[in-house]
Amino acid sequence: MSRRAGETILIGDDIEIVITHIGRSRVKVGIRAPRETLVIAREVKLVRDENLAAAVATPPAALSSLVARLQPARTPGSGLQSRCQHDQ
Amino acid sequence: MPDFETTSFGRISYQPEWAIEFPSGLPGFEGRRRFAAVNFEESAPLVFLQSLEDPALCFITLPILVVDPRYRLDVSGEDLGQIGLAPGRQPRIGTDVLCLTVISIRESGPTANLLAPIVVNLRNLKAVQAVAPESQYSLQHVLLPEEVPVCS
Repeated sequence: MSRRAGETILIGDDIEIVITHIGRSRVKVGIRAPRETLVIAREVKLVRDENLAAAVATPPAALSSLVARLQPARTPGSGLQSRCQHDQ
Repeated sequence: MPDFETTSFGRISYQPEWAIEFPSGLPGFEGRRRFAAVNFEESAPLVFLQSLEDPALCFITLPILVVDPRYRLDVSGEDLGQIGLAPGRQPRIGTDVLCLTVISIRESGPTANLLAPIVVNLRNLKAVQAVAPESQYSLQHVLLPEEVPVCS
């Protein structure tokens, strides 16, 4: 499918993509889609999925082993909470 | 000094002027704007990015230069504007910005997201996770391969 600036593509009944501007190396598009449809650049979606995976609680053992490998000269500490500033 | 109950570290105290603010949140966590960078001597050089709005949300990060000492930033003008930096010049890591990479702990081992570093303006503590669409860096850079040959 080939489009000029100002022309539109329809996907199904309720998604509309308008080519609004064609630059030398970038194309600007306008997208009209239902509110519940996520419209997002592919790389942002990948980062989003990566963030969701990264935010899952890490087992303390995995964390200790990572720390041990990052600071091989020292004994890995298991008491991560001990240096926290606890309120009195 | 206000304090905040966290799932990972119990109750932490923080200085409000040290809170890091993401004006647009992070991809997947758009509603989470305020974080504290927490580190401990025992777990150095890890930096924990703890949400100050969600006790359970905590990212494990590393200063990006620890993972790749030659890392080159490629932050878009739009992202630079969000954190109050002038577009047209890449900020210097350590001088202008703090740059962290988010770590994922997978069954196969830890990986670092070098594609989308967290960039914190050191002057105002505004931050953005800068997604670089044309970057050659990996979303899942393998950290510390299991078997590293050691010369004796």
